[in-house]
Amino acid sequence: MELDTRAKLAIYTHTAERGRVPAPAELMRRLDLAEAELRGVLARLREKRLLLLEADGLTIRMAPPFSGVPTQHRVLSEGIEYFANCAWDALGVCAALRRPSEVRSRCEQSGEPLRLAVARDGPEPSDWLFHCEVPASRWWNDLVYT
Amino acid sequence: MLFFRSEELASEWCRAKGVPRRPLVRMDQLWTMSVTWYGTRLDPDSRRPAPAEIRGIFAGIGLDDPFWDPLDDSFAT
Repeated sequence: MELDTRAKLAIYTHTAERGRVPAPAELMRRLDLAEAELRGVLARLREKRLLLLEADGLTIRMAPPFSGVPTQHRVLSEGIEYFANCAWDALGVCAALRRPSEVRSRCEQSGEPLRLAVARDGPEPSDWLFHCEVPASRWWNDLVYT
Repeated sequence: MLFFRSEELASEWCRAKGVPRRPLVRMDQLWTMSVTWYGTRLDPDSRRPAPAEIRGIFAGIGLDDPFWDPLDDSFAT
């Protein structure tokens, strides 16, 4: 298996197992890479829009749908808490895990809590709505804002 | 990308923030987006959908407004 694929799997497997993205040192150890090699791998995965990196080029800010930092969009599954980058990614975490989960978020205007049970085949019936402010053609211009 | 309890609350938020109210997406549509985008993300051959595939994903659930087109330049800054 080529290095970039091994790295991608290592990142996503680690995150799915633990609820947090791997630190650079963990990735270097797991993949047996020097820092410069890891920097190159991560940059290529960023080019494929599979990661968003912090300014140091080594720390993972987003491994969509997973967030590397705490957010208001959380998913609980099998006793593990995950942070999602946005409302869409909250359901995206459930879809990626492929196991029963619960989304915990809120209405951005009223603050009303959202508790949404999500089975393997989808969420329970809900009349909540999703709103995206940024057009699709500009999502990656500033993905944190998007 | 945010959740709202109702269309009215989404509109209130947009007015307060001074941003356009965009098309609202139902939870069943959002689930389809999530599965097609992220359903294989933990697999070795996973990748982000290509632009043409993205168009297809959105069009398949009725989101065919240029707002959802990753290659549309009418929203370019």
